[in-house]
Formats: sequence, C-alpha cells, structure tokens
Amino acid sequence: MTRILIRHEAILGILFAVALFVMAAQSDRFLTTANLLNQARLMTEVGLIAIPMTFVIVTGGIDLSVGSILGLCAILVGVFWQNAGLPLPAAIGLSLLAGTAAGFANGLIITRFRVPPLIATLATLALYRGLAEGISQARSVRGYPEWFAVLGRGEFLGIPTQLWLFALVALAGIFLLRFTAFGRTTYAIGNSEAAAEFSGLPVERTKLLIYTASGFVSALAAIVFVSRVSTTRSDMGNGIELEVITAVVLGGTSIFGGRGMVIGTLIGLCLMQILQNGLSLSGVRGDGTTVVIGAVLIVAVLISNILGRFSND
Amino acid sequence: MKKLMTALLGASLLSTPVAAQSAWTGGDDQPTSPLACSGESPAPEPGEYNGGAPENAPDRKGKDITVVDIPKLVGVGYFASTASGMQEAAKELGNITINTDGPTRANIDEQITFVDNYITSGVDGILFAANDPVAIAPVLKKALAAGINVVGYDADAQADARQWFVNQALPNGVAKSMMDQLASEIGEEGSFAIVTSTFTTPNQARWISEMQAYTEKCHPKLKFLETVEAQEDNILSFNQAQTLINKYGDELKGILGMTSVATPAAAEAVQQNGLCGKVSVVGLALPNAMKPYINGDCIKSTILWNTVDLGYAAAEVMRQVVDGTLKPGDTTVKAGRLGELQIVNQSQVLLGAPKVFTKDDINDFDF
Amino acid sequence: MSRRSFHAVSSLGQEILLVVVILALFAFVGAVNPRFVSENNLTSIFVGNAYIAVAAIGMSLVIVSGNIDVSIGALIGVLAVISGLLVTSGYPIWVAWLAPLLIGSAINALVGCLIAFARVPSIIATLAMLSILSGGLITFTGGRWISGLPAGYQLAQFRLLGVPSPVWFMVGMTIVAALLMRYTAFGRSVYAVGSNPEAARASGISPSSVVVRVFAIHGAIAGVAAVLFATQLQVIQSTTPVGLELVIITASVVGGVSILGGVGTVVGSTLAAILFAAIGSSLIFLNVSAYWLRAVQGVLILATVLADMARRRRTG
Repeated sequence: MTRILIRHEAILGILFAVALFVMAAQSDRFLTTANLLNQARLMTEVGLIAIPMTFVIVTGGIDLSVGSILGLCAILVGVFWQNAGLPLPAAIGLSLLAGTAAGFANGLIITRFRVPPLIATLATLALYRGLAEGISQARSVRGYPEWFAVLGRGEFLGIPTQLWLFALVALAGIFLLRFTAFGRTTYAIGNSEAAAEFSGLPVERTKLLIYTASGFVSALAAIVFVSRVSTTRSDMGNGIELEVITAVVLGGTSIFGGRGMVIGTLIGLCLMQILQNGLSLSGVRGDGTTVVIGAVLIVAVLISNILGRFSND
Repeated sequence: MKKLMTALLGASLLSTPVAAQSAWTGGDDQPTSPLACSGESPAPEPGEYNGGAPENAPDRKGKDITVVDIPKLVGVGYFASTASGMQEAAKELGNITINTDGPTRANIDEQITFVDNYITSGVDGILFAANDPVAIAPVLKKALAAGINVVGYDADAQADARQWFVNQALPNGVAKSMMDQLASEIGEEGSFAIVTSTFTTPNQARWISEMQAYTEKCHPKLKFLETVEAQEDNILSFNQAQTLINKYGDELKGILGMTSVATPAAAEAVQQNGLCGKVSVVGLALPNAMKPYINGDCIKSTILWNTVDLGYAAAEVMRQVVDGTLKPGDTTVKAGRLGELQIVNQSQVLLGAPKVFTKDDINDFDF
Repeated sequence: MSRRSFHAVSSLGQEILLVVVILALFAFVGAVNPRFVSENNLTSIFVGNAYIAVAAIGMSLVIVSGNIDVSIGALIGVLAVISGLLVTSGYPIWVAWLAPLLIGSAINALVGCLIAFARVPSIIATLAMLSILSGGLITFTGGRWISGLPAGYQLAQFRLLGVPSPVWFMVGMTIVAALLMRYTAFGRSVYAVGSNPEAARASGISPSSVVVRVFAIHGAIAGVAAVLFATQLQVIQSTTPVGLELVIITASVVGGVSILGGVGTVVGSTLAAILFAAIGSSLIFLNVSAYWLRAVQGVLILATVLADMARRRRTG
C-alpha cells in the first residue's frame, strides 16, 4: 500500500519537475523568487483548507461546505468588528470560533444522524452561504486597519506572512496523519469504518474532530483572505471546494478513503498553481488553462494507475 | 417530519410584510445624489485629479503596446461586446494589441489572480472591470508600482488604484433613465418589482440605491414591491420573473431588469404569459437580445449605453494615457469616432447618458 | 431477491415522504397566498425546473451504479451551445434537437470508459471533465451569446393537450426510466453493480460495460435536459449556471438515491427536484426576506435530509 502511495507521489513529483522546466523555458519571468513567492501567497487559502480536507477524504468522507464556511466567517469578521463594534482581534477570534462551530455542526450531522458526508455538507453548503448573505444583508465591510493587512499582504523574514501560517498548518497535518494514533485511526476509518469501530477505535470522535478542524481551518483561510483583499463579501470562497478537492485528489488521496498523504496534497496544490501561473505567463488564456488542468488531473491518475497495475503483477 | 414542520414554522416567522421595509432590497449604503426631476442637470465639475500614476513607467509614447483586458467574467454577451469595441479601436490605432482574458465566474479572487499573473508577464497596460472596488485595489496598485498603465471601465476600483475610469453612465443618470421610463410606461402610481444579479454586485447595488432616491424625489407614488436575485443566469431570471408575475397578479405593472441577463429573461416571461402591454419590462439589456420583444411590440424599450462604444472608449483612453495626451487636469478627451468625451468626478471619462432604444432605432444597432 | 424488495420498500417510503412534504408545502403556502397554487404558478414551477428533474434522472442512474458526475452542469452548458450553434448555422431544427443527445452520449461514454477500464474514480474523471468542458466552452464560443434563434426551435415552449412539453418530458422520462430500472435485466444489473461489483461479476454481469452504458444513457438524458434548457428562451448563454451540478446531485440524493450506490429510484429524484423548485418559489410567496432566502432554503434541505435519515433508521 505504501509503495503505491509513494509511487503516485514520485510520479507527481516528476510531473511537477517537468511542468516547472517547461514553464521556465516558456517564460523567463516564471522561475523567479518573486513570482514563486507571490504564487505561494495566492494559493494559501486553497492550500490551508486542503490540509484538513486530506484528512476528511482519507476517512472516506468529503466536505463541500468549506467555501461557504469561508464566506460566513469572512462576513462575521466584518460584522463583529464594524456592526458590533468589537476590537478587530476579538472579532477575528469570534469568527474563528464560529467557523469551528460550523465544522462541528457538520461533524455532528454526519456522526450522530449518520447522514452521508456528501449530503450533509451539500445541505450546509447552502445553509452557511445563506447565513452569510442574511447576516451581512449583502453589505460589504471595508476599511480595515493597516496592521491587519500584514497577514494577507505583508512579509516576515522576506516570506509572505500567510505562508508561515500555511507551513505551520501543513506541518501539523503531516505530523498528525503520519505519526500519531489519531492519524492511524483516520486511515483505519477510511479502509473500513466497521472494522475500525469493531476494533475499538474512537471512530465518531475522530470524525467529529476532523470536520471540526475543517471548519476551523476554513475560518483561518477566511481571515487570511479578508486581510489580503481588505474587504468582506458574502460570496467569498464560492466554488473553492472544487479547487480544494482537485488539489487533494491530484495529490493521490483516494476518494474512497484509506489512502493519501499531506505531502501529496502539497505537491498537487503546487502543480495546479504553477500550471495556472506558468500557462498564463506563456500566453495561454484562462479558459485554456482550465482545460489543461483537467487533462493533467486525468493523466496523473492514469499514469499512476497503469504503473500501479504493473507493480501488482 | 417534525423538524420539517418546525422549519416551515420558522420560515413563516421570517415572513415580515414587505411594505414595512424602508430601503429597497439590494441597494447599498453609500450616499445618493438624485438628479433633478426634469430638465438637464448641469454637468458636474470634474474637480482635481484623484487617480493614481504608474511608477517609473518606461516611455511608451507612440510605441506598440500590449494591453490585457480583464472583465468581471467572460462568457456573457455584455463583455463580449465591450471586447469587440476594444478590437475595433485597436485596429484603428494600429499600435496597440489587446487580449481579453478573465475568470468564467464573477469571482473576486480569480480576477485578482488574473491581474497578478499579467503583471508578472509584463504587459504595458491593464484594462479592467472590477468585481469588487476594494478587493481589486491592492493588486492594481501593484501594477501601477510596476510601471503598468491601468484604466478601468464598466465597474470601478478605488480611485487611487487606477489612473482613469471610463464610466458608461453616472449611477444617478442610470437611475433617472430607468425610473422615468418606468413611470412613463406604467403610470405614476403603478407597482413594480426588480430582478437583479446578486445583492453583492456593486454596480447593481449602487443603481438600486440611486433609483430609490430618485423615485422618492420625483415619482413618490410608484410602489416598490420587492427585489429578487437571479445570479447571471437567464433561466433563473426567467423563473424569478415568472414567480413575481404569479405572485402579484394584476398588481404588478412593471419589472425592472438590472442586468443584461435579467431583462430579456423578464421580457420572455411577460411574453409567454401573454401579458404584453399589461406588464412593462424596463431595464438594462443589449439591443440584440431585446429585438424579438421590441420588434414584436411586447416591450417598449431597452436602456443601455453602447457597450461596443464603452470598450472602444476604454481602449482609446488607454492609448492616450500611455501617450500622455490625457493627463490630470484635462476636462475633455478625444476618443476617436466618439469625438470629445467629458471628464467627470476627478478622474473619470464619461461615455454619455444612457440611451433608450425603442422600436424606431433598435434595428440600427448590432451588439 | 430479498435485497431487491428491500430497496423497493425503502425507496417507496422516500417517495411517499416527498409527496407528503410537497403536498404540505403547497397546502401551507397556498393557504397563505392562494396564488401560489394557481395553475399558472404550478406550471411555471414545473416548466422552469423540468430540465433539472430530467438531468437528475440520469444522475440517479449514475449514483445507483456507485459513481458520481460533477461535470453535469458544464455538459448541459456545452450541449445547449452546440444545439444553438447548429440551428443558427442553418442545420434543420431536428438536427439541433437530436445532436445534443448523441454528442452528450458520446462524451459521457468516453468518461464511462475512463472510469470502467482505466480505473479513474468517477469523481476525479468528472472533476477533470468539469474543467475541460467549462474551459473549452469559453475557448470555443469566445464568450458570445447565441441569439437570432429561428421560429419553431423553442421545443420547451410547445404544448401538448395544454400541458407544456417540459412537463411531458419530465414525467415521461421518469416513468420510462423507472420501468427500465425496475423491470429490465439492465436495470437490475445497475443495482447489482452499485451495491456489490464483485458479486455482480460473479453472477455474470460485466460491471465495466454496465458503467459505460449508464454513463452513455446519462449523457443522452443530459442532452435532453440541454435542449429543454436551450429552447426555453430566445438566447443561449455560453456560461453554465453556477452550481447546477450541486442542485442536480442534491435532487438525486434527497430523492433517496444512496450515495454509496445500489439503492434508490428515479421517481424520488424527480419528486425532490420538484420539491426544491417549489421551495424556491414558495419563499418568495411567503415574503421571506430576500437576504435570508438562501439560509431558509438551506434549513429546509437539511430538514429534508434529517427527516429522511430518521425515517430510514426506523424502517432500517
């Protein structure tokens, strides 16, 4: 099992290197530190959410509501700060709390009521987006103080601030999934939930925690996003769930659960981002880029399937 | 089942009578400045330039330049026609290349990424129609800092994040055209509803607020019923217009379409219900999309600026900004076949007043 | 065999629940505002959303077979544009009506092959198709709308015996698909493959060929949905409605199709599509504040899902 996994990541790694090389040959503006750091900045929100999404998908579940949670939390920062008059740090704290609660609610619906994750989060996708629109009354909140922009637009030690946050979350994800009992339970649930339950693993609690984490990190992404664009709107994060899921499955996480690594997700994410950026720099329009990303997704899975089949013989 | 009933009950609790609402749904919270009810309003003074300036821009005067046009989204007729106006100008000028590229959804994040990538790829100029005036500002400022000329059209950004903005029509002018036309068709005491894209779209929200202010001032007896959202989706717009017709019956005299998607769909709903002449549709729409209804005498008019001209003017302004022939302090600008355009609001080029197309002249236009 | 009858019973419960909820909704909203249950409004609820119900039929087959298709919205957009382009460039109208069925079927058969033979999970294959179709659509049309459609092309505006054609399509196709799923060997093999591919293989069914056929049928049905979508108005947009795939999938799963495969009927999915359309319209009639409309819609969807789970636990 691990051999296949590593193989998929190796293939992705090679694809990534090839893409990097081709893009660099196409445009001399691609392979510069400034551009790469900037691209990393742009992918942070999707990247952050992709980490807990890896856990979710490894359990065999899915979370479609992340984009709506992002929108809801973005709105809440603005509403708490401007309409309720709270200090901005408190507003951010409350918004993170709300995101966590939204994720927790997802987890409850999935574990207690046994609603399949796809349906549960489809329903909350509509609900949370609706709440965002209702609470904001479709008004934007603008005019955030300068210091807040540091998170989304500033730098720390020459590296975009939010990348430090992203690195922290990614490292935590790698550690949790790879080296802890929690991670082993996550895989066990994905392989066979019944078997995991039978062997006394805390299935419900683990799933609850994972969906809660997904809500929390979506809220975190909302804060980063608001700071980057310095405004809040209720339609923020609309459709981001498909980008996140694409990155995760491109990274080799099996949609049926039981397989996948955070490292793979990170490579998948970077591959998507450099394709978007590199193709744009070499003169391909946005719609062409979308087509290429779709094709790469199929090709990556095809290659790893074919090689996987050979190695099984 | 019990839960469902509870939910239904909850829904009924939310149902407050519309009449109690003070502000029209879907408006924004910015101050309004309604025009005079009749007669020409004096042209506003341009005032002092408040746009930005590119830093250390190379001298591009008279040289071939490459410009990217990033509309709110691609795939809608509106921006396809502005893009064709730009190509027309590019052909006339001969020394400007314009590529249109943008997100497939009106999404602030994707649009920012597009602008960012084009800054890196090193274009000479960026034309944009912003999905959000504030969200796009940082990345446009980055473009200015990189020495790129930045000109907006259709939907503005914060003034200091771009050099000039080609304004298709002032919001209070749009509001006046819409409401005067509506009142002339349904009478001063008719009831009407609005179909908009989403409540978060800045242009539409601005117009709705201005329309309310102008109506209170000049058509106080017109009765606002409600606003419904229909995204940029013509089937949903059609369904929503249908629902309004069914809900209000004879009470509904007019539907205001706030987007080029909603207006033809509302017209279709009126026609399919056999309500031509009984329910008026007044709104913003491309003439081509409205021809079937206007030529068929179902709908009287459509209001819009010439979107091809809007794109044309944006490209002309870009060229002149690059050449330095349009500079802070000017009060007019020459824009090719459009002649002299006025400068308003410190750093905006005004295309003109919105045009009302009727059966008499709609067939003279093809966009 | 006993397993089959269990499906029949459990999904019948779902259908009854949906019918009751729909009737309750109509009764409640009709009591508040009688215009809601006027013939006009009922017609518009059905007509305007029939293409969603039709597409949900194909989606239900796909989900019953243990797969999913997130590219359906983009596919409908592409097929609608193809139909419009054909008719505006002078092809006979019947060609413009039939071509989407064939092309949709061909495209999705290809996707089915990717899933069945190359072992690409359906969500990945269709996520990729979503990118390819939606990006390709813009590349192809340059973002222009298709207008100037000839008279007689508007299939969705025709009426037969006073009933608009989309309603005929919705009802007719639901019945045909329901019969197909219940009484034919093919229908049984779809359930078999969805509930247990290995067992299906052991009993002589080829899961790969079933999956390819399911996707081909789904593509043809998407073609019908696209024609209904394209012929409702006088212009065809070259973008796809945002989130259409989620609406269609939600209709299927709320209609009782298990996302794990093997369970559910198409009647439920059509009823669920009708329910969602009715909810959208009813909230406007109830004067729910437009800003809160989507939140209430979300609550109602969640309530339907939870009620369904509660019912299943009682019967299951």
